[in-house]
Amino acid sequence: MGSVLAASAPSPAAPGPGGAGLVSVPPGFTMPSVSPVSEPGSSSPGRQESEPPLPNPGGFEECHRKCKEVFPVQMEGVRLTVSKALSNHFQVSHTVLLSTLGDSSYRFGATYVGTKQTGPAEAFPVMVGDMDNTGSLNAQIIHQITDRVRSKFAFQTQQQKFVNWQGDAEFKGEDFTATVTFGNPDVLVGSGIVIAHYLQSITPSLALGGELVYHRRPGEEGTVMSLAGRYTGSNFIATLTLGGAGAHGSYYHKANDQLQVGVEFEASTRTQDTSVSFGYQLDVPKADLVFKGSLDSNWVVGATLEKKLQPLPLSLALCAFLNQRKNKFQCGFGVTVG
Amino acid sequence: MATIQELSPDSGRVETRPPEDEIEGDEEEDEELDETLLERLWGLTEMFPESLRSAAEVSAQSSLSVAKKLYSFSRSALWVGTTSFMILVLPVVFETERLQLEQQQLQQQRQILLGPNAGMSGGMPGMMPPAPGKL
Repeated sequence: MGSVLAASAPSPAAPGPGGAGLVSVPPGFTMPSVSPVSEPGSSSPGRQESEPPLPNPGGFEECHRKCKEVFPVQMEGVRLTVSKALSNHFQVSHTVLLSTLGDSSYRFGATYVGTKQTGPAEAFPVMVGDMDNTGSLNAQIIHQITDRVRSKFAFQTQQQKFVNWQGDAEFKGEDFTATVTFGNPDVLVGSGIVIAHYLQSITPSLALGGELVYHRRPGEEGTVMSLAGRYTGSNFIATLTLGGAGAHGSYYHKANDQLQVGVEFEASTRTQDTSVSFGYQLDVPKADLVFKGSLDSNWVVGATLEKKLQPLPLSLALCAFLNQRKNKFQCGFGVTVG
Repeated sequence: MATIQELSPDSGRVETRPPEDEIEGDEEEDEELDETLLERLWGLTEMFPESLRSAAEVSAQSSLSVAKKLYSFSRSALWVGTTSFMILVLPVVFETERLQLEQQQLQQQRQILLGPNAGMSGGMPGMMPPAPGKL
């Protein structure tokens, strides 16, 4: 069960830069999540202990991820997920979502993990698919083509119309990572989006990089560029992204084994507003409890509680979000079996 | 000059005011003017200079509005504080309290079964006869 479950650990996989306003995800559909193969900074230096001192900095999208993972995710309605591992390579999940705001739905998901093992917990190719009761499909295929090149192909449909299709290739060098992504390329119409990422380790704790987005539609084309820097300390990670689309800064701090804290600052030129959020994550392994709370400058207070109900393989998730200014409250809970 | 009413024998009883009222004429004005107590007290303030009166009025009004704002602010602050505390802190408190109680209970059970020396988490199970199988 180990390798299949490791591949399906939830974390956002699709790189969606907000600068070009591309590939908007239709409400209610999320790209299937696959865990990143290497955690930035944690396994890479270990892998390269005996090699040149500059470690691989990880992917460009991973820069802000550690801080984002501290924040709770808002969910509403009741969700029941039953997942079953049919073999070491194949896993199936059924999700029923009873929603208060939108439509209730049933999703069927399948994950296949291939036989090419590149590490203790990673195996390729990974194919993840998700189908809705209305016939909308999300699918992702990740494959390690050579030792250093990994590619991903993902598409998303809404009923039978293709909404989102993208492919990318990532090259992990000694101390740099370069990624090229093609989003919604349409040769007939002549539209598409090309994104190039580059991240380079300058010192063992400092990594600098940039992102270039070129989008084209019949009649208009444009480029957005942004720079990113990440500094990793002994127990903190500070990241800053500056670009045409705005500024995004995040600070992640691991106070002790139980408490992790994240502060995020976002300023967008498109919507002309800034926001600061503060989030924390509290792990109490003795009580099988993970609690995430967040506080926002838009007067939004939210929290998520996840608890494993021993001895059954059940996990309960409770979520509550309150917008103090508008006086709107949303709560949800979910049960995951297996 | 007091008017002299001619008394005629067939005019009946004519009401005459008692002589004390004619001397103290200001009480007539009381009954005629019809002032309430508050108006009379307010009239007393007219003896103060204008600047003092306006300063007092401004300070009274501003302190009243400050008190109102403070009251509404403390109401909303109390609500925001309570709901945020409820969402952010309360579940963790409940769970840690429950965990503590459970651990205490376990410790007590271990104490009862294995004797007072084994109350610590790293007790000495080898010293006592094997515990009954209900655990």
